[in-house]
Amino acid sequence: MRRRDFLMTAATLGLAGCGRAPAPRRLSQVKITRAAAYSHDIYDTMRRVLAEHNLRVRGRRVVLKPNLVEFEPESTINTHPMLVHATLEAFRELGATVAIAEGPGHRRGTLDLADAAGYFKLIPGFEDLFTDLNVDEVSRVHLARPVSRLNSLYLPHTVLASDLLVSMPKMKTHHWAGATLSMKNLFGVVPGGVYGWPKNVLHWAGIHQCVADLHTLFPRHFSVVDGIVGMDGNGPIQGRPKPAGVIVSGRDPVAVDATCCRIMQIEPARIGYLTLAGGSEGIAEKNIQQIGENPDSVATRFELIAELRELRKEKS
Amino acid sequence: MEIHNGVLDNLAAAQNPDGGWPYHKGGSWTEPTVLALLAYQAGRAPAPRGGAALAWLANAQRPDGGWTPRRSVDQSTWVTALVALLPPESIGAERHARAVEWLLAQTGMEASPWIRLRDVVRDGRLPDGPDVSGWSWFPGTASWVTPTCMGILALRKCQQRRPSAGLRERIGKAQAFLRSRRCADGGWNHGSARALGYELNSYPETTGQALLALAGTEPEKLHESIELAHRFLREHRSSAGAAWLRLGLLAHQQLPAGAPSFSAPGRTVPDTALMLIAEAAHHGYNVFVD
Repeated sequence: MRRRDFLMTAATLGLAGCGRAPAPRRLSQVKITRAAAYSHDIYDTMRRVLAEHNLRVRGRRVVLKPNLVEFEPESTINTHPMLVHATLEAFRELGATVAIAEGPGHRRGTLDLADAAGYFKLIPGFEDLFTDLNVDEVSRVHLARPVSRLNSLYLPHTVLASDLLVSMPKMKTHHWAGATLSMKNLFGVVPGGVYGWPKNVLHWAGIHQCVADLHTLFPRHFSVVDGIVGMDGNGPIQGRPKPAGVIVSGRDPVAVDATCCRIMQIEPARIGYLTLAGGSEGIAEKNIQQIGENPDSVATRFELIAELRELRKEKS
Repeated sequence: MEIHNGVLDNLAAAQNPDGGWPYHKGGSWTEPTVLALLAYQAGRAPAPRGGAALAWLANAQRPDGGWTPRRSVDQSTWVTALVALLPPESIGAERHARAVEWLLAQTGMEASPWIRLRDVVRDGRLPDGPDVSGWSWFPGTASWVTPTCMGILALRKCQQRRPSAGLRERIGKAQAFLRSRRCADGGWNHGSARALGYELNSYPETTGQALLALAGTEPEKLHESIELAHRFLREHRSSAGAAWLRLGLLAHQQLPAGAPSFSAPGRTVPDTALMLIAEAAHHGYNVFVD
């Protein structure tokens, strides 16, 4: 084993311990914030969101990881650049050094993709702030107790060296995983330069299981879900715009994603990766403290393709 | 032939001290290094530090004959096909022959007997026949369009140099894979044409690559694909997409007169290299085919 691998193994064991050791359950705080449109109000909204979560990031390296998928600025397929910029500004005001990084899963021209999605236009100095995670420097990280069939993964240094990874997905249905939210968004940290486009190794090792493994690897993880306009139907690529009018945030990705599912009227217990990562307790409403809007007050039915209708949360 | 000297200078400036090229910035990777070398070959211009680049590549070959995407990765992958596109004398005939052997030994997992049986039992669907077989991005996974196209192009060059029944058979299986994955609109997605019963979208890059890899086969069946490539070329939003479309259309002598040219260097080394390769192909020398 090379020194680099060894160090990563040690780090991973430590992280895995943080992610899995039984500990007294604390309530996970999740904030649902109403946001009707991509307007300049979002900048103030994100300042208030971060303040409410009491994030201490002064002097820390924060990496924002949006979801970039397609060359369709007019569609709702990508995380909106205004939300990313507002989050970047809010973290900077808290004293953090902020970078943006993404490794799209199937389109290769990441910078062209970001340009088409409006990132260059909206975020000053975007190219200097951005790292294409598909082709970043990589090291192999061993999975101490994998849920998937993987024993190790090559992962990008930009993410491994961050103090706080902020997953910023679009709120979308997903034809294989059911829903793609802050946890599934971490597929984007797996380097296409090593595994290809798409990152088919994750499919063969089990999509839900790999999401759970990535969750274990990145416990220092904050979530900001772009649900202002999401996507329903045959997501994550061929679906339809679905306005939900919310930004969902929190330190516990399982709780954030379970809350998003409730907003989307999807039963979180039927999403494989949520139960693998959080168990029934991690997604239980009683263990999630809503510090913003109540999920029921903003719930909106995300249409599901026929193959996923069993995921529907039915009201009793 | 008009060569974009300024762009070649950009490429030279991006070369790392170790001889390889990065994708954008940072350490050297196999794919941009091969594409940069192919760009110099296409421009019939010597790479300023070509010896260092070839030495970097030669030293990166693994004992199994394949190449990793990057030194810190210990697994041979699809990039071996890219290295095999280089002339054998550049990296050494023996190294090249071992790369081709590695390539000939690889298939996507869908071709394995166990997976074929699983597909029949679990999904109730007939798998591809034994005469359909592509290449994966990473061993142990399924075949996809891009690595299959690169495998075909590499083996076809070998076949031109030294024809063999084995090469012809493997190329034929891979071309059958591409034909079986063509989308309803005539183009190519990254992998399948359908998922969960839904038609999938075609993409410019993969459509251009597939046209290039299918050059010389059944042109009468590719009319719709070429029409789609023309449309993609008018609407393209990535320089790599434009380059692959031009290369694919040129391989079928179907690049329309007045097709949009490149207006700016690519943002990455592969983008810039592909642009130069496509320009050279427009002037009669296609390094993927000739």
